[in-house]
Amino acid sequence: MSAAAIAVISAALSSAQQAPANNWIQAGSGGTLGAHLEFPTSTGRVGVLLSSGPVDTKDHPFFTPLGSNGRACVTCHQPAYGMSLSAEAARELWRRTNGRDPLFAAIDGSNCPDQPQALEKSHSLLLNRGLIRIFLPVPKNAEFSIEVVSDPPGCNTSPAYGLKSATPMVSVYRRPRMAANLKYVTNPGPPIVLKLGALADKDPATGRPVSMNLMADAREATLTTQAYSAAMGHIQARSISEEQLRRIVEFESQVYVAQVFDRTGGNLVEPGGPAALGPQAMASHRPGVLGDNDYDSVFLLFDMWKKSGGTAQEQFRASVARGADIFMFRQFWLRDATHINSIGLGNPLKRTCATCHNAQMTGQDLGAGWVDLGTTNYPRWTEPPLYSDAQELPVFKIECKTTAQPHPYLGRVIYTTDPGRALISGRCVDVGSIVMQQFRGLSARAPYFSNGSAKNLRELVDYYDRRFDMQLRETEKQDLINFLEVL
Amino acid sequence: MNGKLLLALVLAPATFAQQRSFVACPIVRDTKTVPCFLAEYEGETYYLTIQQDIQAELYPPQLLHEVLVEGTVAPGPRICGGIPLKPVKLSVLPELNLSCNTILPAEPGIEAPPTRRPAGPSTRKAPVAAGGAAPAGGPLRERFTAPFAEREFTVLYDFDSSFLFSRDTRLVNQAAMYAIAARARSVEVTAHRAASLLSNQRVLAENEAIATQRAEKVVDLLRGLGTGPASIKVRIVAEVAKPDGVSDPRNRLVTIRVIP
Repeated sequence: MSAAAIAVISAALSSAQQAPANNWIQAGSGGTLGAHLEFPTSTGRVGVLLSSGPVDTKDHPFFTPLGSNGRACVTCHQPAYGMSLSAEAARELWRRTNGRDPLFAAIDGSNCPDQPQALEKSHSLLLNRGLIRIFLPVPKNAEFSIEVVSDPPGCNTSPAYGLKSATPMVSVYRRPRMAANLKYVTNPGPPIVLKLGALADKDPATGRPVSMNLMADAREATLTTQAYSAAMGHIQARSISEEQLRRIVEFESQVYVAQVFDRTGGNLVEPGGPAALGPQAMASHRPGVLGDNDYDSVFLLFDMWKKSGGTAQEQFRASVARGADIFMFRQFWLRDATHINSIGLGNPLKRTCATCHNAQMTGQDLGAGWVDLGTTNYPRWTEPPLYSDAQELPVFKIECKTTAQPHPYLGRVIYTTDPGRALISGRCVDVGSIVMQQFRGLSARAPYFSNGSAKNLRELVDYYDRRFDMQLRETEKQDLINFLEVL
Repeated sequence: MNGKLLLALVLAPATFAQQRSFVACPIVRDTKTVPCFLAEYEGETYYLTIQQDIQAELYPPQLLHEVLVEGTVAPGPRICGGIPLKPVKLSVLPELNLSCNTILPAEPGIEAPPTRRPAGPSTRKAPVAAGGAAPAGGPLRERFTAPFAEREFTVLYDFDSSFLFSRDTRLVNQAAMYAIAARARSVEVTAHRAASLLSNQRVLAENEAIATQRAEKVVDLLRGLGTGPASIKVRIVAEVAKPDGVSDPRNRLVTIRVIP
């Protein structure tokens, strides 16, 4: 990292004693967060832009513990980790604090609150995969029954916290999402949701339709309802004021994150370079643009990097440009993906990555974005799964009622590590459907997928290659990885 | 017997003979552009449709599911190696059939008909909002102006399905906008359940709750789009029209009658 970049970080975190080597911001530590920040990642540097200028974090509700466990929003949404969290950062924090940091709070920073909290193994999902426990009741209108098949984390069979406890809960484990670039995530799509054949959820404050792209299961309508739920749940607050909610939403609505420097590709935001790169591009661009086309594509143009030169930087940039073309134009059979193939497009569908990842600048879905990609359900088409899911995550058996519309590609009995959207909608067709995530700042926040099942971008690309039989060559895989790294 | 009746009797079997109503696994035929969807029945291959996009009126079937094909043999050459059916109604049957899993490779000489959407990204210059040409954040506005007459909107369904696809929600949206513009005193929603007579004389009947489910979803959408709840009247037609193997797809419907 350059001396200049280090100086930027030091200036940003003015409370030097609270700015450890890995740039972790402790809840309540105070200090001013600069408007332009850069943090080292595994492949270069990620940039964080506060478009409204520097923020005094002292007493700011995003940075201040509001509840009983010492956490603040920033605990899981760290600027140095793309306003999310990496598993590596969690492990480093465990080492440094002997597991006493509020991140590891029993409520959801451990596999289950009734496990011995001082033991590392009680936090294995957070430490190995960066996962936070999400506990939800089975919806009253559920079209299915659910039973626990195996439970390595132990929470779903816990007498106090499990499915047969006094307040029955399903515990699933998910990655914290980026609290950045949110104008894209919250931009309302069409009021009638393709995947529902019905109207989108509405903002309880305004009555206007919302994007249904927040959270892995779209359970929160707005940033305000999300902040409230997070305060009451993850932070264990007893109350939060409207003013505090307003300030949290105001802060996170002006944070933009994207990679700015690559160790081989160099400066990603130099004049004349690809227009979609860097946090300033994220701040400047307008949301709600459909990028699944050949004239205004998802991540705009990389043509200026296509010329193949002899230097390592030129070769890397040419690889990125090829990766962008693979993402936009490489056709393959998209098949058996609920809420893509099942909504009228047919199964299979000969298209490209950009069909689903169609929202310009983020690569999410411009509409409500839940899809069963097969990362949580036990599929027939990929064995074995990337990770040894059965040894780490709970496995549920879902049985659909005879009156229900079955899951379109798995039928009436589904084995899953996370029912996803179905835990909110109660519908069998939604089992395993997860809302797509942004593609930005990826190098800062491994692992990937909602259950952290891809440890790195190579595993992520391998997953797609296997899942959709893309038959990517080794060079094409590396091109895609390089492309994803610079976003 | 007069001449007209005789002609009708002669033509009727011929017309019926051009009908094809059968359940089969879809077969996907790849081409150098978009894939074609075919199905086999009694030793013959029929062309059903090609891959399009969500704006299309006819949606392709799905592998891992059987498809109910209800169509009329159309004149003209084979398409993608199959006898074309037009018009044709395709219903994806809900239960899994893992044997429906055939993708044939592209072959020289087998070409898909022209399509407005290629297999890759869209090439059309006018961006279309994902999900139905609706402006972000607001309802899909249709401009209706006075004078307003009584008007009926008809939503046709896949067999045993109450799901409102994009093509259907556009229609319900039109009905809602018309009802609002006309300040309708009554919006009558009438939902039907139907049966299909297959070419092999077997009858498929839809599940008994389907008409109610169709009505509920249409009414929810009408209300959500701003149709006054007090004006909406719902009627469920319990009896099933006798299937004839010709007009059966048109009996799986909900009508929305807007009375100003």
